[in-house]
Amino acid sequence: MRQLRAVLTRIAALVSQQPADDELNEELQAHLDMATDENIRRGMSPDEARRQAVVASGGLANAAEAVRDQRGLPWIEGVWSDTRYALRALRLSPTFTAVVVLTLSLGIGANTAIFSVVRGVLLKALPHREGDRLLYLRQSADGAANANVSFSVPEVRDLRNGAPSLGGIAEYSPFSFTLRGEHDAVRISAGLVTGNYFEVMGLSAVIGRLTGPIDDGPGVPPVMVLTHEYWQQRFGGDSGIVGQQVKVDNKSVTVIGVVQPAPFFPRRIDALFNMVVSEHHVSAMMVEGRSHRMTEVVARLVPGATIEQAMHEVAGVHARMQADHRDAYNPESHYRVSVIPFLEVLGERARLTLWLLMGAAAFVMIISVANVANLTLMRGVRREHEFVMRAALGAGTARLRRLLLVENLVLTLSGAVLGLAIAVGGVRLLTSLAERYSTRAGEIRLDNVVLGFMVSLSLTVALVLSFLASMPREGSFAARVMSGARRVSAGTGRQRLQRVLVIVQVAVSVVLLAGAGLLTRTMMQLADVDTGLRTEDVLTMQVSLLTPAELLSNPAADGAAKESYERMRREIGTLPGVLAAGIGSSVPLRQSDVQLEVMAEGRATVVGEAVRRAELRTADPHYFRAAGIPLLRGREFANTDQMGAGRVVIINQLLANVFFPGQDPVGRRIAWTGDVLRFTPFSGEWRTIVGVVGNTQDGGPDAEVAPVMFMPFAQELAIAGALVIRVDSNASGLATTASKVARRVAPSAVVENVLTVRQIKDLGVSPRRLNAVLVSSFGILAVLIAAVGIAGVLAFSVSARTNEIGIRMSLGAGRGQVQRMILREGGVLLASGLVLGVLGALVVASAMRGLLFGVGPYDPNTLVGVAVLMSLIGLAACWIPALRAARVDPAIAMRAS
Amino acid sequence: MAEKLDVKQGTLALMILTTLEVLGPLHGYGVARRIEETSENRLTLNYGTLYPALLKLEQEGFVTAEWRQSENNRRAKFYALTAAGRKRLKQERQEWHRMADLMAAFLAPKREA
Repeated sequence: MRQLRAVLTRIAALVSQQPADDELNEELQAHLDMATDENIRRGMSPDEARRQAVVASGGLANAAEAVRDQRGLPWIEGVWSDTRYALRALRLSPTFTAVVVLTLSLGIGANTAIFSVVRGVLLKALPHREGDRLLYLRQSADGAANANVSFSVPEVRDLRNGAPSLGGIAEYSPFSFTLRGEHDAVRISAGLVTGNYFEVMGLSAVIGRLTGPIDDGPGVPPVMVLTHEYWQQRFGGDSGIVGQQVKVDNKSVTVIGVVQPAPFFPRRIDALFNMVVSEHHVSAMMVEGRSHRMTEVVARLVPGATIEQAMHEVAGVHARMQADHRDAYNPESHYRVSVIPFLEVLGERARLTLWLLMGAAAFVMIISVANVANLTLMRGVRREHEFVMRAALGAGTARLRRLLLVENLVLTLSGAVLGLAIAVGGVRLLTSLAERYSTRAGEIRLDNVVLGFMVSLSLTVALVLSFLASMPREGSFAARVMSGARRVSAGTGRQRLQRVLVIVQVAVSVVLLAGAGLLTRTMMQLADVDTGLRTEDVLTMQVSLLTPAELLSNPAADGAAKESYERMRREIGTLPGVLAAGIGSSVPLRQSDVQLEVMAEGRATVVGEAVRRAELRTADPHYFRAAGIPLLRGREFANTDQMGAGRVVIINQLLANVFFPGQDPVGRRIAWTGDVLRFTPFSGEWRTIVGVVGNTQDGGPDAEVAPVMFMPFAQELAIAGALVIRVDSNASGLATTASKVARRVAPSAVVENVLTVRQIKDLGVSPRRLNAVLVSSFGILAVLIAAVGIAGVLAFSVSARTNEIGIRMSLGAGRGQVQRMILREGGVLLASGLVLGVLGALVVASAMRGLLFGVGPYDPNTLVGVAVLMSLIGLAACWIPALRAARVDPAIAMRAS
Repeated sequence: MAEKLDVKQGTLALMILTTLEVLGPLHGYGVARRIEETSENRLTLNYGTLYPALLKLEQEGFVTAEWRQSENNRRAKFYALTAAGRKRLKQERQEWHRMADLMAAFLAPKREA
């Protein structure tokens, strides 16, 4: 309290200096008078009495200054005057100021923007209640597409009974529905959840209620909870929606509430339902089939339990499961379960990319600070005389430091303000990048924590800069003023520091350039990947007439749906510019949702071989020609491959190589198989292979090709529909017309993903492109800053050595010799930086291995290219000061000293 | 005037408070004189030491200040102890004694065992 009171009076004193000063003078004067009176009384002459009193006082001015310091907050007053002084000094050297502020703003801006993304996506606490106790369980097995095989209901039941450290285990089954509005039908991404889901997740309703245990089981009405995002987007945040009925697929569903904003996993969703909305999810198949794995699992750790405990218990349960149900766990597939904090799993795909960008930004910051430090050092030398003068006039070292600190604060904070503008733009760009990797992108904000990060970054930079400058030693002032310390005199210590800074700049630039080079080559390799299609002039669209659920409950509707598809195909085929149009279950270059186990006739499974799966697709006779997928053997589907005709299939080259290496597969037989088959509308009878088509990159350019088996569109239920349209040119121009045709033929159809093959290709490359562009621009920025750094330090060294150069030249050194001398000085710096940089690049490259495609982390071409580029730029930067050194006129140089 | 001592930080406040307790309200000159006399002129107080200390005590609320006529008819600023000041003085004095005892024990010549 006393402290506070003292501080408050002192702050108040800041605004009322003048009357207090008058009073103080009067008080001190009175003291002096009384002392003088006393001295007179002791018998001194009035003059002597006065003199003695003044001597004893210790100086009135000093006393007044001491009292003033005690009265107000001298620090603030000092800083204020220092700030005014710093502003004046910086105005006098506008180039220095501009370069420094700009350099710092780039560093601070980039770091702030990327930090806000890292924080939003990876670090920030989850919005869920006690989100740190939230866990995600993942079951995986060997083999392609088995990294996450989900769980079946019986498996979840076993976990509930056998893992007491998991307080609640909820099921979440990703699904998609068609939401039919009055005027349109849209596809929604949904989650089917058990009644305990929201309790386990720790989420609350914004309005209405969430699903609870009463919504479990088969005999309850279907209900729907909207996510906050979709509520805003589709219903404009209208709270009247609660209690209303909406049409989902062919069912009436009641909207019961809206859940608070929160990220979902594995993908963004629009609405959550109770299980009953899908008959399949409450069927015996689903509830009893141990190998029917369709459920994601989230769990909440009980208070006091650790994640290690949970892992241990889950592993125990899983081992017992495998022992008790050998049929459901093919031992060759090595089923396993991992327990992952929910926070981590949300960021798992973004982590590597974001930390890479954060690292790159940090490097840019290091280079910026090194450069500014160099500039400050050089400027400090030029200002030495000023400092010596100020010191001689009574400013202590601490006082000079404070002045420097204030000056650097003015610089960094201006940089921060400009950097904030850069960050605001950068965050927008980065959010679009993050959206591809994480459902938390919506949580990216430039909030107080981020601003705090920015301010502390700026303060740290200012502090570092202030303490790099060496101060004239106290006591040496007088001598230096006397000797007229006007000449630039760079101490060897300071020069060494400058050189170290340049080496750091070169090294860090090389690391950044190497990273940029690897990412750029990755991007180029991706763009060069052969998709397997012979042309890019293809427009594709997904058109859903009936959802699988609707179709399964009413198979009779299939005929009408197929007729509609055929009408769309024919009408689009007559549009101008269209060369061919085909129909299949899914578009090329996009993964099929359905993957089933396959077997070939007469081919025994090899022991130890993982189960073979293939993507299930259908195609009509025009599909391959329209898509530009080459037929390698046999024939395409024909109009005669109808319902009731012999079962035929076309396989892709990969599947052919897997089952029939070195043989002609045409005429051989193949069939779907496995436990899951009985949950699908597809039969396991033998099908004759009539053709082989080329592989296509359906999982994206960097994914492995999957085995595919095509069945005739006409012979199977039309569970999904996709139009493939080959155009003579400008495929994207046809998008609107073609979608209109589809909607006219079937007004209730959901038309989505209307994309040309070129656009699909681009989507596969664009996240990597943004990556490469960001790191490349950081790299280029770094090189430029480093080049300025080298040139600056050498130029400075030349001007400091003008005298020496003059002497050398007058003793007979030629211009070439002088030039070489300076180049050598720069070359040593450059070479040291290069060596360090290449070593650093090797370390960084191996850390970013996971982000590369088609290029090894130690790619010699990239490293050599980067080293050559850096050397060229570095030498160019050395050349200018070297030329200047060679042009030194010995006579003038020596006179100047 | 052989050896003059500087006033140790912290002890000056105690001296000022004691002076004001003993002599009642007093101006700065009086306080300085009294401290110098009590120390038998081993201490000198220049203004730059005394007045910031007085101001600090005033800011902390241990003394109040008021302009009055002095005994020989000069206008001077008189400092007086407040209730909080008295309390503080009592505390400080106890603490000082404890510290002094401790230092005395500490510095006493040790008997060799």
